[in-house]
Amino acid sequence: MSGLWLVARREIVTRGRTKGFVIGLVVSALLVGAFAFLPKVFDGPDSYTVGVVGSPAVQRELVEASAGSSRETKVTTRPFADEAAARKAVLDGDVDAAVVDEHRVLADGEVDRELGALLEGAHQTAQMQKQLTDARLDPATVARAIQVAPLEQVSVGADTRYAAARTGIATIVVIVLFFLIFQSAMFVAMGVVEEKGSRIVEILLTSIRPWQLLGGKVLGLGVLALVNLIVVMAVGLGTAAATGFTVDLPPGMTGIVLGTLFWFLLGYAFFSVLAAALSSLVSRQEEVSSVLTPLQMLIMVSYFAAFFTTMEPGTTLARVMSLIPPFSSMVMPVRTAGGEVPLWEIGLAAALMLAATAGMLAVGARIYERAVLRTGARVKLTEVVR
Amino acid sequence: MIEIDDLHKRYGDKTALTGVSFAVKPGEMFGFVGANGAGKTTTMRILMGVLSADSGQVRWNGAPLAFADRRRFGYMPEERGLYQKMKVAEQVEYFGRLNGLAPAAARQATADLLERLSLTERAGDEVGALSLGNQQRVQLAVALVHEPQALVLDEPFSGLDPIAVDALAEVLVERRRAGAPVLFSSHQLDLVERLCDAVGIISAGRMVASGTVAELRAKEGRGVLKVVVREAAPGWTAGLPGDLTTDGDEVRFTGVDGDGQEILRAATAAGRVEHFGWERPSLTEIFREAVA
Ligand SMILES: Nc1ncnc2c1ncn2[C@@H]1O[C@H](COP(=O)(O)OP(=O)(O)OP(=O)(O)O)[C@@H](O)[C@H]1O
Ligand SMILES: [Mg+2]
Repeated sequence: MSGLWLVARREIVTRGRTKGFVIGLVVSALLVGAFAFLPKVFDGPDSYTVGVVGSPAVQRELVEASAGSSRETKVTTRPFADEAAARKAVLDGDVDAAVVDEHRVLADGEVDRELGALLEGAHQTAQMQKQLTDARLDPATVARAIQVAPLEQVSVGADTRYAAARTGIATIVVIVLFFLIFQSAMFVAMGVVEEKGSRIVEILLTSIRPWQLLGGKVLGLGVLALVNLIVVMAVGLGTAAATGFTVDLPPGMTGIVLGTLFWFLLGYAFFSVLAAALSSLVSRQEEVSSVLTPLQMLIMVSYFAAFFTTMEPGTTLARVMSLIPPFSSMVMPVRTAGGEVPLWEIGLAAALMLAATAGMLAVGARIYERAVLRTGARVKLTEVVR
Repeated sequence: MIEIDDLHKRYGDKTALTGVSFAVKPGEMFGFVGANGAGKTTTMRILMGVLSADSGQVRWNGAPLAFADRRRFGYMPEERGLYQKMKVAEQVEYFGRLNGLAPAAARQATADLLERLSLTERAGDEVGALSLGNQQRVQLAVALVHEPQALVLDEPFSGLDPIAVDALAEVLVERRRAGAPVLFSSHQLDLVERLCDAVGIISAGRMVASGTVAELRAKEGRGVLKVVVREAAPGWTAGLPGDLTTDGDEVRFTGVDGDGQEILRAATAAGRVEHFGWERPSLTEIFREAVA
């Protein structure tokens, strides 16, 4: 067992400090961070500064509305002595708009749509209160009377409130899973060929068993990939939280995160052992890409199926692909992130993928064991399976 | 004791080994020699378990050589293999750990070995940045780091400068003194003759001779009788046994049966005998004879 850990540790230490890994980590984190930040950019600003000139009622309403709302949009007010000063501040861009004498709004061009609605709401409330009070109604009664609970939103169809957020998250999950599984499988393949081609295996395999060498490599590179995945998720969620996007995150985020980790581990185990088995057939790095063609096809098909699923999560094709291993390792997490999936389907997909991974471990380890010491010409698959 | 017993190996239609057998005793340095393609590497790979024989057995102290025992062997394959991107000391230490050394012991053994092989300055360099000969030294360090109970080295001296050859020889002698059987192949027969207690000669997949150098000499016959006679009458050698070559006053007899006393008598009668003696054949000569 200690052989396995030693191999794993070597992989982590030596691969973890290569440029390839570090660049991959940084790029994937930046991409996901940018992706999580994007809605913010398209969403427009979430805070406004409004100048006020002699409009105490509107000002009061704006402040109250801003403090009491669960909305992200914050409005701060800034008093000006006269209209000329307010006008100048609007033109200079110091304030987004200015309310003058309770009945005019100054803006540089048009008032931003969201801000306009906010100002209009504040203005309506303030004026209603004023007019009712002017009609000699008791101010306290007026205040109580105009307190209206907002409309409660009830969907009678599917709950689509989080559809956009879920699609976004599912898209990120596809890209990240594809990138990480592909990269890690390539690392495993390159490592196997490095050892076989340079004949280090001859020395290694007089000290440790083939399963220790293979297992240690898969484990070590898996740890690195997992670190990468966790960093990416932390950056993604962190950016979302920091930019205030979290309010819109769908419920069950923990489940989505854990599910992604689970499916990643299965997918990684399956594809990396397949990569190791295939690459153990050749002795030179130049031959790696040709021997890995079937693996690359499988990953690409999984990727496209998963991408298709982000757009059409409800189709039969998406459902079927999310059950068949190894495609399920990328399609199912995307389906669960993108919408509700019946529990039995998740269970079935997990059971099938677990079985496929176990089978791949058994067959892959066998191929590896038999092929890795046969240096020279490319070993035929038929010579080593049986 | 390592015993190789009746190994047979074919690669497709090509027969690489036919009944190869020999033994390397504890504390014995065994030189394994043979022409290119004779089967040395094949034998050693089978011994180390990286190749399987078609038939035959490798035994260690009487029992079939098991993985756990082999782990404590030091092995240097013919085709050198190291992680090019890994630092020298890190790499040697790693192999020490893989062979069961504790972290501190591996570090210590690595430092000692690098010192002996004059690699201390390069300890922090990537292996790929070293010259070929220095990479070879690292390869040796990898084979030796865990103080192996037996050594199997395929052409360990090739590519080394004389200083490194001496350093390596010293390490091997030390292992032998510790009681380990040491088996190495080499084409440098003078080195084998100087270092080895025993020699095995393989030719076309068959062992043609094995034993101590003295035994091989005895087997190859006494060899060449060299006689130098000054002021001898020409033709004094007429009628004497064996084939002879003449070079001035120096005459060499080969294929002489018996102890050559009649040649000595003839020489004494012919002139002033300055030299009369058997020339010890070098290993190279024995080798040529054996594989012929
Ligand atoms: N992988 C292989 N496939 C086919 N034939 C092989 C293979 N490896 C070795 N042989 C053949 O087996 C024979 C023995 O080769 P081996 O490498 O054991 O010789 P060697 O004594 O080590 O030679 P050298 O001194 O050149 O290293 C050779 O005829 C060689 O061609
Ligand atoms: Mg050889």
